[in-house]
Amino acid sequence: MIGATLSDLGLLVPELILVGMASMLVLAARRIQRAPVAVVGTVLAALAATLVAGWDLSGGARTGFGGMITLDGYSQFFKVLIGVTLALAALLSVRSVDRDQVPRAEYHVLLLLASTGMMLAVSALDLLVVYLGLELMTICSYILVGIRVERPTSNEAATKYFLLSSFASALLLYGISLTYGVTGTTDFSAIALALSEQDTGSNPLLLAAIGLVAAGLAFKVSAVPFHAWVPDAYQGASAPVAAFLAAGSKAAGLAVLGRVCVVAFGSEAHVLSVFLAGLAALSIVVGSFIALSQTDMKRLLAYSSITHVGYALLGLMAGTSEGVSATMTYAFFYVFMTIGTFGVIIALGERGEHLNGYQGLASQRPGTAMLMLIFLLSLTGIPPTAGFVAKFVVIMSAVREGFVVLAVLAVACSVVTAFIYMRVAVLMYMKEPQETAPSRFPVAVSAALAVAALVTVIGGISPGILAPWAVSP
Amino acid sequence: MNEYIGIAVMLVLAAGLTATMVALGSTLGKKNSTRVKLEPFECGKEPFSLPIGKLSIKFYLTAILFILFDVEVVFLYPWAVVYRTLGILGLVEMGVFLGILMVGYVYAWDIGALDWE
Repeated sequence: MIGATLSDLGLLVPELILVGMASMLVLAARRIQRAPVAVVGTVLAALAATLVAGWDLSGGARTGFGGMITLDGYSQFFKVLIGVTLALAALLSVRSVDRDQVPRAEYHVLLLLASTGMMLAVSALDLLVVYLGLELMTICSYILVGIRVERPTSNEAATKYFLLSSFASALLLYGISLTYGVTGTTDFSAIALALSEQDTGSNPLLLAAIGLVAAGLAFKVSAVPFHAWVPDAYQGASAPVAAFLAAGSKAAGLAVLGRVCVVAFGSEAHVLSVFLAGLAALSIVVGSFIALSQTDMKRLLAYSSITHVGYALLGLMAGTSEGVSATMTYAFFYVFMTIGTFGVIIALGERGEHLNGYQGLASQRPGTAMLMLIFLLSLTGIPPTAGFVAKFVVIMSAVREGFVVLAVLAVACSVVTAFIYMRVAVLMYMKEPQETAPSRFPVAVSAALAVAALVTVIGGISPGILAPWAVSP
Repeated sequence: MNEYIGIAVMLVLAAGLTATMVALGSTLGKKNSTRVKLEPFECGKEPFSLPIGKLSIKFYLTAILFILFDVEVVFLYPWAVVYRTLGILGLVEMGVFLGILMVGYVYAWDIGALDWE
């Protein structure tokens, strides 16, 4: 406790709000299993945390807890994103929690605590705090994935996720310990200082440290070749949980990766760019080609999310602040279009989980088909949707930094992904319906879909809207 | 590098000697295979059996809860040692820590995890 004061707690108000709500729900768990209190409480806490996190974005950066936690524009940007993700995920879970008879209070407590972990990770200035935050997030995620205990697929998914993810955590910890061995510290700015003072040109230990830290974080954002858990985990989890993981955990992982690359290992950008360029190229190619053969919507979106992580990594390769802001823009819009797509799947229920369920949707529910089309266009990256803006900024940043071959590859794979997403659109608009029209959606699900669609459209119409806030650390 | 050559020679010798002895024993030795002799452990114990019969899953739950509060005490000891230097802030932080753990305890109690029957 180096000079920590009570005012340091002010840096953690969003996290404290989420933990406070989680504690209250835990205490009342047995008494509120039938009531919608848990959903309302979670959404309110998420919105309050979002408001507090986004408060006074112009204020200067502050640090606390002995320099381990910071409150800067970068952490605020991602805290707002995580808060909104939590609110949307809670709204989307309304029906699946009912249908699967999931314990309501516990489910929402896990969502709240996982988001707390993400927020801690994005505001951490120390590798160990990053680790703690990410572990809090993943431990809650294991339980969320396996929370439908009576389904064997759900248990299998949770077990696979747990085993692979523990291994990745070990890699990350080993990387942290090697970094400590080379630099004598786990603090980001102290690492940067130590690296700038010593001649690290050909230190194999440092190379291993950076590689292991990058591999551990690449697992959390599920970049190829650390992606094997994603399709199984998403398929076994309920759709809202998959949406929460695809959006929130990836945004948090990218945020941490961005800060580590720029602040801690900024002087080793030449080494990191090789790692990250490889991860990005593999993720884009492997993700888009495997997605071609998927017929389960959650698996398809799992591979699509892998592709999108590849695109997001394009911004981080060079380790420049322009690149990091491109990745921030990408992460922001990616969250909304992914949650929107998952939202349509959730709204359609069992029918939405299979590709053939979308046959003739346009003639039965034109509004829903329209929404799905917007999200699919955005995922493909076709103007005037946010997805185009997001892809444009990361590919531009790759070109500016001289990764022209990679940029060409990224554009070429966009065409492949267009085929994946447009296949769903063709089924919706050009086939006769095979199944009965879906029942009315719950209000909460419609609200979440509306928010996601609004951001996707506005982001596409006014491309520069995020520019004042997407500032690298 | 030279100081390690001795270790390498020693490793090779040890491995060679061991391999030779095992090879000699298994080729020249007298074989007298009975069913008992072929069991994995010749010590009179039944090699394959259920561990100790059935174990109630409640023990597992109790063990988990025990670990939770055991860790809590581990954190209390160093805090008690530097209690005076930490002052009021340390007291508040330990209060928050214990409060969060108590929430978990109350939850376990509330949903009946502590009821044996």
